Amino acid sequence: MGATSLDTYVHRESVIHRWSPRLKLVSLGVLMFAFATVHDLALVPWMLGLAAALYLLSGLPLAFLRQRLSYPGLFILALVVVLPLTVGDTVLAQWGWLTLRQEGLMATLLIVGRFLSILTLGFILLGTTPFLTLLHAMRSLGLPTILADMTLLSYRYLFEIAAMLATMQQAMRLRGFGQKRQRWLRINRQTMEQLAMLAGNLLIRSYEQSDRVYRAMRLRGYGYGTKSAVGQSAAAQPCALSWGLTGVVLAAAIAFVIAELGWLR
Amino acid sequence: MHIPDGILPAQVCAAGYAITGLATWYSLRQINRKPDPSAEIPKASLLTAAFFVASSIYIPVPPASVHLILNGLLGVVLGYFAFPAILIGLFFQALVIGHGGITTLGVNAAMMGIPALLAYHVFQLRNSLGKVLKEPTRTGVFAFLGGAIGLGVAALIFLALIIFNIPAELDAGAERTAVLALSVSHVPLAIVEGIFTAMLVLFLRRVKPELLEG
Repeated sequence: MGATSLDTYVHRESVIHRWSPRLKLVSLGVLMFAFATVHDLALVPWMLGLAAALYLLSGLPLAFLRQRLSYPGLFILALVVVLPLTVGDTVLAQWGWLTLRQEGLMATLLIVGRFLSILTLGFILLGTTPFLTLLHAMRSLGLPTILADMTLLSYRYLFEIAAMLATMQQAMRLRGFGQKRQRWLRINRQTMEQLAMLAGNLLIRSYEQSDRVYRAMRLRGYGYGTKSAVGQSAAAQPCALSWGLTGVVLAAAIAFVIAELGWLR
Repeated sequence: MHIPDGILPAQVCAAGYAITGLATWYSLRQINRKPDPSAEIPKASLLTAAFFVASSIYIPVPPASVHLILNGLLGVVLGYFAFPAILIGLFFQALVIGHGGITTLGVNAAMMGIPALLAYHVFQLRNSLGKVLKEPTRTGVFAFLGGAIGLGVAALIFLALIIFNIPAELDAGAERTAVLALSVSHVPLAIVEGIFTAMLVLFLRRVKPELLEG
């Protein structure tokens, strides 16, 4: 699932790592939304530049970004191929039936610029903050108890259930599943039924495990009063560096929105 | 069928978060009305993780394969827990594999979660409208409807969002054709999702019927 690498770089030392999680979450969140407001192509290099500067400050390796971008990049690749060739009236170049159009090209550059900048900020946030700390920060910002508990418990058992599914799939393959040749563009009813049973078994095993988990949690006092499974964060007061970074990032976010509104006028 | 960051304007992302906030508040209110909501949390959490993992199961259709969304099934099995479960699942997907996005989390959650709640209510109709049918046909038919409607409505919202928000210069005729073509192409997928949901629900009915009581 590639999930095990989520916390790989969270224990490094950088100014972004030392940034108070709550302030980091709010500041980067606001900046992401400010990036989403951008429609002016002239702002795209500034947006990419700021995201790159923050990434450099975080000290995260480029391989982390490359690895994380590979999957969502496929969707963007589809847009890059389709939009410049189909959208707009101003023809920039033509090769036979293929026509490169200016409006489509500009729309693509804008979407790709926003996509890369916002995604980079997301990876900075997740790459420099342990998941539990992030959850504490969200809880202190008002995340409801039920959502916080569900997120924590789902995350705790996610990898265990993924390993369970991998074992079950391996057992199926060892018993000959997937060996039979299937006709093109046809769904085999038996195969579908077997996959439905596989998913059903996974749900049943998880359900039975949840009963044992609940009993264990109950014995430790869960459900008495309003205490959350996430617990209370013992976060230190944000230092001057945290406030400084927050100020700079929020000022940048406001600047992007003002520049965008100015462009609209 | 997740909208990534950078595609939608900020206003649409903010509206998505507002709708998701409202739907989450409504779902949590319904959950808190249960006699012991904390008893349901571990069950819903582990099933959320299981659904997240199960969504990686592909149905082979040579030379390709069909990826299941399972939002209708989530609604059928989890009831009002389906919306928080989808929100958490999408949060993990954005976090773990970069599928979807942080700014579009609200839009994606509303797009998948509201049809899941709809699927739950459709499945519950088996106890009133479905009385004319005999078991297990009744459970199978309403599970099929839940699964197919869950995916079908989500696909319609997805297509509408994509078509109306990306190509500003696309002419109205081309837009209409694209919406129609993409909608029609999702009909077989909704049928496959419905059949898979019905098969799985009938299996659960035989082996662990209490899972369908939520």
